[in-house]
Amino acid sequence: MSSEADTEPVLLCNGLSKRYGAFCALSDCSLRVEHGDVFGLLGPNGAGKTTLIRILLGFLHPTGGNCRVLGIDPVVDSVALRRQVAYLPGDARLPRHMKGEGVLKFFSEMHPFGELERSRRIADQLELNTKTRVAFMSTGMRQKLALAVVLGPQTPFLILDEPTANLDPTVRAMVLRLVMEARDNGRTVMLSSHVLSEIEDTCNKVAFLRKGRLAHELKMSELFQRHRMTALTSAEVVVPDALSDQVSIQTTRLSENQHRVQIDTSGDLAPILTWVNTLPLSHVRFEPFGLRTVYDSVHAGKFSQATTASSPEPLETL
Amino acid sequence: MLNRFLLRKYIGQSSLLFLSCGATLFAFAWIRVWVVSLLDMGQFQAILEQFREFEKFAPIDFDSLFTYTGRVGMTFDEPIVILCIVIWCIARGSDVVSGELGRGTLEMVLAQPISRTQLLFSHATVSVLGLALLCLLVWAGVGVGVYATEVEESVPPPTIRIPFFEIDMPLTINEPQKQTLRLRDRVDVNLYAASTFNLFAFGFFVLGVASFFSSIDRYRWRTVGATVALYILQMVMYGLGKAAESLDYLLSMTFFSCYKPQKMVLIASQEGLLAPWSLSGSFADMVLSPLAYPLILISLGLMSFLLATVCFNKRDLPAPL
Repeated sequence: MSSEADTEPVLLCNGLSKRYGAFCALSDCSLRVEHGDVFGLLGPNGAGKTTLIRILLGFLHPTGGNCRVLGIDPVVDSVALRRQVAYLPGDARLPRHMKGEGVLKFFSEMHPFGELERSRRIADQLELNTKTRVAFMSTGMRQKLALAVVLGPQTPFLILDEPTANLDPTVRAMVLRLVMEARDNGRTVMLSSHVLSEIEDTCNKVAFLRKGRLAHELKMSELFQRHRMTALTSAEVVVPDALSDQVSIQTTRLSENQHRVQIDTSGDLAPILTWVNTLPLSHVRFEPFGLRTVYDSVHAGKFSQATTASSPEPLETL
Repeated sequence: MLNRFLLRKYIGQSSLLFLSCGATLFAFAWIRVWVVSLLDMGQFQAILEQFREFEKFAPIDFDSLFTYTGRVGMTFDEPIVILCIVIWCIARGSDVVSGELGRGTLEMVLAQPISRTQLLFSHATVSVLGLALLCLLVWAGVGVGVYATEVEESVPPPTIRIPFFEIDMPLTINEPQKQTLRLRDRVDVNLYAASTFNLFAFGFFVLGVASFFSSIDRYRWRTVGATVALYILQMVMYGLGKAAESLDYLLSMTFFSCYKPQKMVLIASQEGLLAPWSLSGSFADMVLSPLAYPLILISLGLMSFLLATVCFNKRDLPAPL
């Protein structure tokens, strides 16, 4: 790759939209993925994740906005782009008349970065029998074969649409290890999944899509610095000025003299714990702010694109 | 423009269909020629005379069929030959986009660095070469049949012409003598080259149309349905145009009018082997020169492929169903 391409982000979307008549599959989506990122795409079914990926690869023509993948506009030259990208579709289907070995050979020959030996090695790691004809493979076996096809070429950018669908937990773990291996080799990965724990384990950035819109972006490092505490109290809780940018509070009245308080925190816990220790609280529960909480909030429409991860704004209103 | 790995894949994908169609066409053409030898020319003539009133539906006049060359040439209008060619063309043409979309395999293939045009052209190359080979197999079947078949012919008895009455009287009342001769002494296999090319042009057009419908569709069954519907509509137009004089304008609107294999045989046998390849000569019952007809079919086929390329490049590719 040229040095110019190195300075550019791997993916840059600007107001990307896709309409089908009155239906808007993707609306005004702006994203940036840097070199070495493992970027997670989250969202419910029909949120626009696959539409976004398919536009990036040139399968769909955008109706608005533009994007560049490794400096290449897919509308202008999708072939050059796909030379730099390996892509696993959400529902990967392979030629049924071929045997597993034939499929690996065919796709490794088709791609300039293709490497049959590496694809075979991955197939072995996934415990796949490549002597079987695709037509006689189970859904899981076909998924493994597709993974061996896609993870074979050492492209700079790897897009995986639900890579662990139909796989057993052991193989899932293996796939995630391979994703991390790709990252360690300097590759950039975009990963779409419904399994939040996978995203938590592998990604350093996450984007949430909802109803075709980019609802929220999050750096996982910031999420790991966020916690939620719930407790019961009889007195009013007031956040000291020094912590006001790190703490947000939601209070729900339970009875005449009892309230439930929810304290969302971000950043270093040490000063917050010192403050919390002075409060008259009981039944205290402290938990890390998991991706599930963010996902539920996004799903419920309580996030806008403007909301940032570092913001201590409440994610839920009780 | 072509991708050799795709070519290999498409060859593997279509080989079974090719082998079955090829074996059928070769065997049928051979057997068809052998059947010609079973039926005495006199008997054949008698049978055909029964259908004189339907002569207008025939591609050439009946008198031209009272030769071994003409009877063998009918092979190119046999429903089995047409059916096999049409099956190949529709099966392969409909597969290129809507077939792969339906199976969900297009996404993985197009995730590789190949252009849509490359995919379409690679597919078309295999299909067109397959079609050419199938047409050659028909010709080969005819050739093998002609070389392997012997026919029995009655030797006309010596006669004497009675003056004034101008009547030929046989000099003997014995059973007419029969002689066996090789069919190749009566039929020149080279005469069927132009018919073979005409069959190829016919298939090329159908292949182009099927590819075009495939390029704009996502369901293969609908592509096949649309192509077959067009084919039947054109066939009905051809039939109506032949049946009623008032509807003969329909003949200029159907591609079946450009498929004239028997006429090509007739021209080749009467005017010489090169005559059907002429762009300038004019012959009875033909508005255009003989070569113009297959060239029209090939041009229409090329236009269909061009349209398919444009549509395929412009369209969005839906996710597998």
